[in-house]
Amino acid sequence: MSTITATTAARPTDNHINIYEPHEWKHSTQVAGVTWKNPVGTASGTFQYAAVRWFYDVSQLGAVSTKGCSPIPWEGNPSPRTAEGPASNLNAVGLQNPGVDHYLEDDLPKLKKAGALVVANVAGHCDDDYMQVVAKLADSAADMLEINVSCPNVTHGGMSVGTDPVALAALMDKLRPMTDKPMIVKLTPNVTNITVPARAAAEHGADALSMINTVLGMRLNIRTGEPIIANKTGGVSGPAVLPIGIAAVYRVRTALPEIPIIGIGGIDSGEKALEYLYAGANAVEVGAAALFDPVAPLRIARELDDLLDERPELAAKLAAGKTWR
Amino acid sequence: MTTFTPTHDVVAEATAAGFFPPRHTVEVTAVRELTDHVVRLTFHDAFIASHAKPAQFVNLFTHDDFMLMPRPFGVSEVEGDEVSVIFAVIGHGTEQLAQLEVGDTVDVLGPLGRGFNLKQDANYILVGGGLGVPPLLYAAQKIADMAGSVATSVIGYRDAHFGEEFVSRYTDRSFSIDNAQGNVVDLLDQLEQSGDLYVTDHAPIILSCGPLPMMKAVAQWAAERDMPAQLSMEQRMGCGYGTCVLCTVDTVDGRLKVCSDGPVFTREQLGWGK
Repeated sequence: MSTITATTAARPTDNHINIYEPHEWKHSTQVAGVTWKNPVGTASGTFQYAAVRWFYDVSQLGAVSTKGCSPIPWEGNPSPRTAEGPASNLNAVGLQNPGVDHYLEDDLPKLKKAGALVVANVAGHCDDDYMQVVAKLADSAADMLEINVSCPNVTHGGMSVGTDPVALAALMDKLRPMTDKPMIVKLTPNVTNITVPARAAAEHGADALSMINTVLGMRLNIRTGEPIIANKTGGVSGPAVLPIGIAAVYRVRTALPEIPIIGIGGIDSGEKALEYLYAGANAVEVGAAALFDPVAPLRIARELDDLLDERPELAAKLAAGKTWR
Repeated sequence: MTTFTPTHDVVAEATAAGFFPPRHTVEVTAVRELTDHVVRLTFHDAFIASHAKPAQFVNLFTHDDFMLMPRPFGVSEVEGDEVSVIFAVIGHGTEQLAQLEVGDTVDVLGPLGRGFNLKQDANYILVGGGLGVPPLLYAAQKIADMAGSVATSVIGYRDAHFGEEFVSRYTDRSFSIDNAQGNVVDLLDQLEQSGDLYVTDHAPIILSCGPLPMMKAVAQWAAERDMPAQLSMEQRMGCGYGTCVLCTVDTVDGRLKVCSDGPVFTREQLGWGK
């Protein structure tokens, strides 16, 4: 395979941005009526405050979407949980987390104290699980909720809901009356036509949509002929999925001109974040790039802030809660 | 190969602001093949050199945009600002890293993880196997500087005894064995019987790193003697700093992260050798 010029911005970039200096953000955005100081957040599943706080000031991000939160602690899938793909990572964590009570006592207050805008990600194996978590988050300090109906690594709930528009609509009918907090539904790309679940979510109370969750994938060990990860399949993320995410955002924006969209998938530079905004996203979230460099989300936010200087029309639309298309 | 040099010092920027350094670019200062497919790579990094503890590791990144995941390696030696790791070439990523030359750059993140606890004055018995040996070499180096402790290395190799050159710099109590001769538990038994394993007035504490079956056997051996054992685990890893939860190990306290709760766990934590 030929050597490629080091344009992948997971690397420290050559642009003289010092992400640690105080910065006055120039370009905000709005997602379901909530103002983000800049259009870049972290993607759920790749953000743990206890780990990230040593590397940068998380309050500088537009938002942080925290790891999926279940009604009771989940131990997740056995190891190994990860393999590498070309320009990508496979993961099958299975939503390991210490449960919503721990989240309310520990992560959430720490993040609010640190000044972060918090998107609390909600996970469940069944409708009742989601309802229990939303009930506990309804009056919490979380700024927004993100309903994870798109995890490919759990046997019940997750993607099995997000690929079935009828089940998704039924779930949203239960969750919507439970809280006034803005509710984002995170969608899976593992469907034929992502506008179908997108429309089901939007028509049943979603205030915004985020996309994409990981793409179903697998790697085998060619010495043994067996899958590398214990769960056999996993979710692919990283630069390889960028075009899949861009297409998802573009298609949903075309089908649903009004709903706020958070674009996710393969963003490792300000330029790629910008591409999502041109596809019709109001904001973006950075996931796998944080595995390649802990400070990637903040660096990307700073790069995008400068790129938007040169695009006043787009910047004005975002600040007004509108999108490019 | 593409090299990449940032025009600003991200380590200085981060530390000045009170944060841990992000991924950054450093210069390769030595590369040496120790034996077939086992390479010792040295790079210049003042921050890692001054902060790394034994069994902590560093993430190295290839220059290939198709292989973005970090490759985590335990620090094997620190001399001045020069940090060494030793790794086996087992795939495309390690192959690329092995092809680096002096003067090339490589991206690093670290030091990461929780290292061995060396606070107690003791006879630290370093029990290693294969590519678990490098972190123990660094433990031997650090223990050599501790007035109240001694290090005794008991190491098993597949064939070539590639670590002995380094461990012998820091302890004259080094013993090794290879697959043709037996395993490290055999060697522990022999040394115990010959009286060479223990040191008067120094309580023995085992520090171990190596293949899983070896470490389980070592934990059992330690448990039978009611001896403390700290075991440095390996797992397929993602971020290396605790955010992705891809590298878990089952412990008596549930599934913990090898990268940031470990890589060092006690045998009691792992529930081994009961």
